[in-house]
Amino acid sequence: MSINAPTAGGRRRTVHPSRRRDTSMAYIMLAPVLVLLSIFVIWPAIQAVFLSFYDWSFYTESEFVGWKNFRNVLVDPSFWEAVVRGLQFVLMTVPFSLVLSFLVATLATSVSRRVSSVLKVSIYIPSVISGVIASITFVIIYDYSGGLLNALINLFGAPNQAWLGDPRWALGAIAVPAVWLGMGITTLIMIAAMLDIPESLYEAAELEGANWWQRTRFITIPQMKNVLLFLLVTGFVGSIQQYELPLVMTGGGPNSATELPNLFIFNHFRGDAYVGYSIAAALLLFVVLGSISSVIFRIVNSEKLVD
Amino acid sequence: MAIAVDPRPRTPLGGTEDAASLRRRARRRRILHPMQLLRFLVKAFFSLLIVFLALFPLAWMIISGFKIRTEVVSTPFQFFPEVWQWQNYVQILADTAFLRTLLITGGGAVVFTAGSIAVNSMAAYAFARLEFAGKRFVWPLVLMTMFIPGMTILLTSFIVVTNLRMLDTLAVLIIPGMAAAGHIFFVRQFYLNIPSSLEEAAVMDGCGRWGVYLRIFLPLSKAPFVVVGITSFMAYWNNFVWPVMTITSPELYQVQQYLAAFRGERSSELGLLMAGSACAALPIIIIFLIFQRQIIANIKMAGLK
Repeated sequence: MSINAPTAGGRRRTVHPSRRRDTSMAYIMLAPVLVLLSIFVIWPAIQAVFLSFYDWSFYTESEFVGWKNFRNVLVDPSFWEAVVRGLQFVLMTVPFSLVLSFLVATLATSVSRRVSSVLKVSIYIPSVISGVIASITFVIIYDYSGGLLNALINLFGAPNQAWLGDPRWALGAIAVPAVWLGMGITTLIMIAAMLDIPESLYEAAELEGANWWQRTRFITIPQMKNVLLFLLVTGFVGSIQQYELPLVMTGGGPNSATELPNLFIFNHFRGDAYVGYSIAAALLLFVVLGSISSVIFRIVNSEKLVD
Repeated sequence: MAIAVDPRPRTPLGGTEDAASLRRRARRRRILHPMQLLRFLVKAFFSLLIVFLALFPLAWMIISGFKIRTEVVSTPFQFFPEVWQWQNYVQILADTAFLRTLLITGGGAVVFTAGSIAVNSMAAYAFARLEFAGKRFVWPLVLMTMFIPGMTILLTSFIVVTNLRMLDTLAVLIIPGMAAAGHIFFVRQFYLNIPSSLEEAAVMDGCGRWGVYLRIFLPLSKAPFVVVGITSFMAYWNNFVWPVMTITSPELYQVQQYLAAFRGERSSELGLLMAGSACAALPIIIIFLIFQRQIIANIKMAGLK
């Protein structure tokens, strides 16, 4: 940040000492963050990789076991079942949430400013609610003999369902509060992206008599390509990592029907004496997630390129 | 609908029509065209439906808090309580254990939020404005921590805090999550956009690096600090799994942990549980409503990135 540096030589001479001062200053300012991140994020990450090659518990000496933990995870059908369940959960939540958010955003950008801000605030309020409170509320709604949902379907003549007790319904019953909690931010990002699309495109389309669907299909969606891709990948990563809702609502039951991948790992953490298995599973999931998101990214990107 | 295209662009510039008559014409058109009325009604209907669906579960929680124990889930089903009674809300707010939980969680959240703003904004300033040796190595390292999934390091973080003898203290809730790469990134983006001419003037006046940070950057940082602050407060208040793993003394219970434990231990007192949940959700909703303008504007910025 030298102010009087008329020549290159002069600059070198003035920058150098100030840069050295900056370095010590910078590390003083960075110190708290670097210390905290090193102790509570970077070191645990290194230790996780390390422990995945050991048989380690809180009570015994650790023993190097090579790839055994990873092998145990990879041959364990219940791990793969949890991953498949996680993908099912993604299919139940992400497309639904994206379409719904898109429709809400379309509506919110076509109404008056006051109505629009009421819509934005109401759709975002669920996002500030904790998973525990959402779980408690939805468990009451899903109650078998006196819950709101069964009373509602009784009106249409359908018999009571054990929404959280029946393996056929349980995962879907958890997907609903997940969508409810997560829609706010997706919708607001879409609204911002829609407002960024130049108005002139729509004016031109309207003059040529394009209807709502044509304007959406040929202007809105292509213009929002990057944002939609971003939301698809973050939605996927967020959704497959969900475990608080099933942890509180069902604990993973009935019959593991709601044991999403992270809950599967968490239940192993709590249940196993040796932690190698759960850490190896968590690392594998991290790798699997990373590759799946990059594959989604590639596929969607290349499709759009062909367009 | 090609016929209904607005004729206004075709009115000659400087024509005799003034704004008022245009508006009158527009109003007349709105009444005349049934399609437009229909469109208006459809939009109004869906707007109300969205607001209703988004807020209904919360309303249901609050309504259930007014019900007596047997009414919350009852056969035959009862939508509204027989008698609206404040008893559950009075009882839960008179419960010292619950109040202490609210206070301890709120106090912890305030300290956590303040600390988070302090350490992350200092780091953001250093990354945005200072040239220092090792920056090219440190910045990617910090960014990388953003992509480590929580579950991967959950157990090893637990081992770390156990070894540091932090278990069952408030420190274990406040300190580990305080530094966050996402917050540093966000504040740094903001600082990068502050014109350096401001700084140069301050340097000429003899301000050091600290002076520039404290006198120029901090006063300008209200907007990013609100966002970082709300996000941190919310994360602390809504945290559940970490407190369950690290806090065992009931007098240090955090609010989500308290509610989950309440549900496990006193499962018959549903009205009380719903009232407690409503009281735990309310502070965070109020804070959001106070700052909603800034938060929504920030999401706009995030979308533009």
